[in-house]
Amino acid sequence: MADILGAFEQAVLLAIVRLGEDAYGRAVLKEVQVRLDRDVAAGAVHATLDRLENKGLVGSRLGTGTPIRSGRPRRFYRLRPRGFRALNETRAAVESLWRGLDWPLGEST
Amino acid sequence: MTATPPEWAEALLRLVLDRDRADSVSGDLLEEYRATIHPAGGQSRADRWYVMQTLGYVARSAGFWAAIFGGAFVARTSLDWLAPTDDFHLRSAVSTYVGVGTLMVAGLWAGWRSSTFAAGTLAGLATAGFGAVVSIVGAVALLAVAHDPGTMAAIRGSGGLAEVFTLPFMLLLPGAIVGTVGGVAGAAVRRVLSPGSPSPTQ
Repeated sequence: MADILGAFEQAVLLAIVRLGEDAYGRAVLKEVQVRLDRDVAAGAVHATLDRLENKGLVGSRLGTGTPIRSGRPRRFYRLRPRGFRALNETRAAVESLWRGLDWPLGEST
Repeated sequence: MTATPPEWAEALLRLVLDRDRADSVSGDLLEEYRATIHPAGGQSRADRWYVMQTLGYVARSAGFWAAIFGGAFVARTSLDWLAPTDDFHLRSAVSTYVGVGTLMVAGLWAGWRSSTFAAGTLAGLATAGFGAVVSIVGAVALLAVAHDPGTMAAIRGSGGLAEVFTLPFMLLLPGAIVGTVGGVAGAAVRRVLSPGSPSPTQ
């Protein structure tokens, strides 16, 4: 079995997939906040991006700066093949766990 | 006028970021500060948000080392309370080496990441500070579980409760000094081995 991702790692990776070419740090942060419907610390997203990059699940490149960032560059992320594989395997594992059970669960289950 | 976060917070943030990531990460925070937080809440709320985000980065960077540092304190306290001895020489030597070694490596790692020796100072200070909190919480938990007359006698024989609750905070200054030494070494090694600019990973 390969990488089974945690919920937050999945949220970050799926945000990168959804954002496509526009997946830079702040955009990923906003997307994760919207999808999880809660406030998320920027440090948590950046730490997760670093970890995923060290594990070889995502790659990054530097873009250009903008005035609102005082010229500081954006770092854009994209999934590597291993990242896609990890997401697919995680989804398959979760579906396997739920197979045969009605959702949502109730006390009668 | 362009909104600007507190300069000291920006400087603190850069001390805990990898040199190659500092501009892009601080740029993300600055963009969020100017585009979302400041327009919605004004200067003081935006500044508060920026400071809290920065402290989050500091806590993340020191958390691992603080857990080791504080854990070593708790382990030593447990040993002294639950397995009393008259000869503390070996225990003192081991816990001192573990403590100094942890602070040194924390400083070395921080200096390496940011290429600045001041990052080592901050790492040493944060490791000792957060580690002190870990050790106090651990000691209180231990005391809640073990407070029979035998354990209380062992506590008195090993320096008393006052030492357990004050000593960790007395290590803030030594922590900063040892962290600085590590930071100087880490920054120097990074500058020698990797003087170049950031590069993409794909």
